[in-house]
Amino acid sequence: MPGNSLVVPVVLWGKHPPTHCISCIYLSKDQKTLATGCYDGQICLWQVHPDTLQMTPRCLLVGHTAPILCISKASILQDNNYIVSSSEAGEMCTWDLVDGRCREHVKLPQVHTNMQAYHMSNCEDVRLFCNGYYPEIIVMDPFSLEILFMLSSKQNPDWISALHVLRPCNRKDDVVLALTTTGMVKVWTLLGHETKHSEPIYENESKQIKPLNAVCIQCCPNNQRTVLVVVSKYWQVYDAGDFSILCSYLAPRGERWMSGDFLAADRIIMWSDAGKGYLYKLPANSIPDNKNFHTPSIESDSPFLYCLLSQPDNKLLSCPPAMRFVTTRRQNKEHRYLLRGDSEGYVLVWNIPEISPAQLHEIQNQKPPQPVQMTATLTTSLSEAWASMVPSPVGILDQLEKREGGSIKLTASIYLPLQSRLVVGREDGTIIIVSATQTVMLQLLHGHHQEFNNWPPHQVLSGHGGRVNCLLYPHREHSRYDKNHLVSGGVDFAVCLWDLYAGTLLHRFCVHAGEITQLLVPPNNCSTRIQKCVCSVASDHSVTLLSLTERKCVCLASRHLFPVTTIKWRPLDDFMIIGCSDGTVYVWQMETGHLDRVLQGIAAEEVLYACEENEATNASSEVGLANPAVHFFRGLRHRNLSAIRHATQRGLHQLQQLGAHANNDDPHMQRTHNSPLVIQGVKTNPKDAESHILFFDIEALIIELLNEEYAMMSPGSLEAAGLIAQSEYLKVAALTQSASPDAHKKIVEVFNGRDYCPLSKFVEMSKTSEQ
Amino acid sequence: MVDCEKEEALNLQKEFEWVLHQEVHKGLEQIHQILAECAGRFPVRLYGHDNSSKQDKFVLSVPSDQVKCVVTLTGDSITHADITFKVTRQTNTTIVRTSIQNDCPWKLQQVQDAANHLQQAINHIDDVGKNYKFKSSDEVLHVLGNILGSLQRGRTSLIVPRKRPIDDLIRSLNMKSLNPNLSEDLAISFYIQSHKLIFAIYQLTNNHGTMKYDSTHAESSVPWLNEVLVFFTVGLQLCQQLKDKICVFSQYKDFTVGSRPSSPHQV
Repeated sequence: MPGNSLVVPVVLWGKHPPTHCISCIYLSKDQKTLATGCYDGQICLWQVHPDTLQMTPRCLLVGHTAPILCISKASILQDNNYIVSSSEAGEMCTWDLVDGRCREHVKLPQVHTNMQAYHMSNCEDVRLFCNGYYPEIIVMDPFSLEILFMLSSKQNPDWISALHVLRPCNRKDDVVLALTTTGMVKVWTLLGHETKHSEPIYENESKQIKPLNAVCIQCCPNNQRTVLVVVSKYWQVYDAGDFSILCSYLAPRGERWMSGDFLAADRIIMWSDAGKGYLYKLPANSIPDNKNFHTPSIESDSPFLYCLLSQPDNKLLSCPPAMRFVTTRRQNKEHRYLLRGDSEGYVLVWNIPEISPAQLHEIQNQKPPQPVQMTATLTTSLSEAWASMVPSPVGILDQLEKREGGSIKLTASIYLPLQSRLVVGREDGTIIIVSATQTVMLQLLHGHHQEFNNWPPHQVLSGHGGRVNCLLYPHREHSRYDKNHLVSGGVDFAVCLWDLYAGTLLHRFCVHAGEITQLLVPPNNCSTRIQKCVCSVASDHSVTLLSLTERKCVCLASRHLFPVTTIKWRPLDDFMIIGCSDGTVYVWQMETGHLDRVLQGIAAEEVLYACEENEATNASSEVGLANPAVHFFRGLRHRNLSAIRHATQRGLHQLQQLGAHANNDDPHMQRTHNSPLVIQGVKTNPKDAESHILFFDIEALIIELLNEEYAMMSPGSLEAAGLIAQSEYLKVAALTQSASPDAHKKIVEVFNGRDYCPLSKFVEMSKTSEQ
Repeated sequence: MVDCEKEEALNLQKEFEWVLHQEVHKGLEQIHQILAECAGRFPVRLYGHDNSSKQDKFVLSVPSDQVKCVVTLTGDSITHADITFKVTRQTNTTIVRTSIQNDCPWKLQQVQDAANHLQQAINHIDDVGKNYKFKSSDEVLHVLGNILGSLQRGRTSLIVPRKRPIDDLIRSLNMKSLNPNLSEDLAISFYIQSHKLIFAIYQLTNNHGTMKYDSTHAESSVPWLNEVLVFFTVGLQLCQQLKDKICVFSQYKDFTVGSRPSSPHQV
C-alpha cells in the first residue's frame, strides 16, 4: 500500500457477547452464509456448514447507523459472495461476504422496507426492486447502488406496502405486482430497456381491493394464477385473473401475521409475530387445478392447518422476531427452511416437513384434527457460540479477572498513548489503570510471562457507586489541561475528577439528574474560563460545562425535552449549540449560561450546518476539531480506511504537537512519537460490555525497533558495520519504503545519532516475545 | 441497614411493575388520543376519518404583482391553480402565466408521507392490546422506539422539505401538471415548510458556461397544518416522557416482571 501506513487491527471481544436484537435475517442460496441484521445497525455473518447447517458467528459488519430493515442477495450467481443491506436511515451497503468489506454504500432520501432481487429478462444480473416510505417502486443496481429507474402510479398513488416481481410463463416481459397501503393492486409490465431518463412508467392496471397496509403479496410460482395477500390480521388468496377473493383466514388470537409464501399450488406457509410458522392446505376453490376453482367459499371447506412450527422460548423476547422462508439448492436437491432470529440473538431453523397428500388426508381425518407439531431443527445464538469457545474469547483485563475470580463487565475505556496506559471503567464502579503493553502482551503472546501471577501491576480508582459510563483524559485532547487530570462519568449521576498519578479523587461534580453518558472537551479558541472546562452530557438530557480548576459547574444547559444527539461550538460567539433527537436545536451562551435561542426545522438544520462549515475553515487549528477518536470510530463504522488513517494520524499529530510545545522536563514529551499501538474501546449498544480493538501501526513499530537497535550502537560500531554509508542507508530506506516523509526523517535522525531515545516499553515487550 | 436497602429494592420493583402494567397503558392511551385527533385534521383518508374532499383556497403572492398564485388545495393535492409571475431576462421583463387543472393535480407528497407515518405510529399502539401484560422494560422501550421513530419521520417530512437538485425538479412528475408548460429555464415548486404552503420559482441562468439559478418564494399559512404539527409535537413529547420514565428503571438493573420474590407486604 504505497503512501499508507499499514495498520493491523486485532479485536479482543471479551467474555460477554454483544447484544444482537435481530431485525432481519438472510441465508445465502448456497447455504454457506447466514446474515442477521440488528436494530443497532450491525450485521452478523455466520459461517454455515452446508450439510449440517451448524452455524458459527464469523464477523460483525459495522456501518449502518439505524435498524437494518432488509437484506438481499446481490447476484444470481451462487458463488458471488455479496449481499446488499438497507437501514431505516436510508443507508444501503453492498458487502463482500468473504472479507467483510463494504464495497459500495449510498444514503438515499427514500427508506426501503423491502427489497426483492430479481433477474429481469434482457439483463445480465439481478436488480433490486425496492419499496418503502415513498410512493414509487425504485429499481436499483446492487453493485453500483444506483437508481436505474422508478415505477410511478397514476391511480391513487400511495406508498407501496408489498410487491412481487415475476415473469409470466412463455413471456419475455416481466410483471411487477404491487399493493399500496390503501389497498390498490397495481400491475406494471417491464420490457427491460427502461431507464432513469425515460418517460414516467405508470401502471398498466389497478384495482381497489380490501386489504389495507398489506405486508406481503405473493403470486403462486406453480401456476401464477393465485395470489396470496397478507395483512397483519388475516391472509387471503385471490384469483390473479380478476383479483376476486377466493378465501380468507384470520390470524391466531393475540398474534399478527408477518408474512407468508406458497409451498405448492395448494399449500401455503405463514408466520406470525409470535415467532411461529403455520402450514395450511388451501380449500378447493383456491386451487386452480381443482374443478371447484373460483366457486364461492363454503363453510365445510376452509383452509386447514396441518402443521405448526413452534419452539418454546427460553428467554423473554422484547420484540417480534425476524423470520424468512428460504429455498436453497444443494446437490440438486431443494431444501426449504423457515428461519427465525430473535431479540436475544437466537437463530432458529425449521426444516419444512414434506407431508404427502395421503399423510395430510390422515391428519385431516383425525377427530379432532391434530396438526403436526415441529420444533426447530437447529437453534444457536451468539451467547451459545461464546460459551462454547475454548478458551473463551479474550478480554483486555482477563489476567486481572482471573485473580479476582470473577468477571465484571468492562463499560468504558480510554487509552493514553504517551503513558502507554489503559484506563478501564467497570460495571461495579471501579476504574482500573494498567500498563497497556503489558496487558496486550498477556492476552496475545504466549510465553513465560503468563505464568507470573502478580502481573500486571495496576491501579484502582474507586469512587463511583455503579457503572462507569465514560472516561476522558483532557490532556490527551489538548495540552492546556493538567496532565494529572482524569475525568469519569457514572450511572450514579456523578462526574469524578481524579489525579491520575496519585490515584486520588480530587472532586465529585453532582450537577446532573441522570446518568452521565458522554464527556468531551470544548475547542481551544473558547474563552480562557471555558478552556478549563470539560463538557458532560447526561441521560436527563442536560449538558454541563464543568471547570476543572474552579471545581464547579460553569454552565448548566438543561430543560431539553429530548435526548441530546449533537454538540457543536461557536467559540468566537461564546455559543454551545445542542441538537436534540427531535431535531430541535438549542443555542446556549457558555459564559453566562443563558439560553440564547431555540430553533426548529430548517433553521435548526442550517445552524448546525453552519457550525460544520466553520469547522472546515478552521481545519488548520486541528485541536478545534472533535476528538479524533470520534472520527476514528466513525471511520471504523463506515469501514473507511482512509478516514481511520486520517483520524489516527490527526490524533498522533496532535500528540506530536503537544510534545512540541510541552516543557522539556518530561522525557516522553521530548521526542516526536508515532504510537505503534492504539487501543480503541468498542460497543454497539449501551448495554453491552466493551470490546477492544488494538491497532498496530507497523510502520511506527518498525521505526521504533530500528530506532532502538541503532541507538544502542556507538558511532564507532555503526561505522564498523558500514551503516553510515549512503548505500546502506538507502537499503534500509527502501526496505521501510515509507511514503511518509516523517519516517524518512526519523530514520535519518537515527543514523545521525542525534536522537537518543529511551527504550519504548512496547519494543521491549515485543523483543521479549521474540526470544 | 441491609433490610432497609432490601425494602427499598422491593418497593422499587413494585413501582416498576405498577409503571409497566398501569402507567404504560395509560400513557399509550393518551398518546393514541392525541394521534387520533391529529389524524382527524389531515385532509386525507386516515384512520377512519375521510376528509379527502376538504377544499381550501389560498392566495400566495409577492407584492407589486411579482408573483400571484391562487391555489385550491383538495386533500393532499393542488387541484387548481392560476399562476402569474414576472420574469426578467437580461433587461426585459415578461409575465408568465400557467395553471393547474383538476384533471392533472399537483401532489404534495409531504402530506401523504406525514399521514402514512402517523398511521404507522397509531398502528404500533393498536398492536399492543389493551389487556396485554408487558413483561420487561425492553419490550416497552421497543414499542415506544417504534412510535417515536414514526412520529419523528412524520413531523420531519412536514417541517424539513427535502432538497432536490434543480434537474430533478424540472423532470418531476408534478411539473407535467402545468398547462401551458413553462419555458426551459424556469421551474416551479409547491411544498410545505412547517405550517406554510410555499410556492417557489426558479430561474436558471447560464453565466459564461456555469449554470446558476435565482429563486423567488411566496407563501401562505395553512391552518390545519398548524394544528397537525402541534399534535405531532405533543405526541412526541408524551412518548419521550413515557420512555424516560421507563429508562429510570432500566438504569438500575435488568428488571423483569417476576424477578421479585412473593413478599408478605404485597397487597
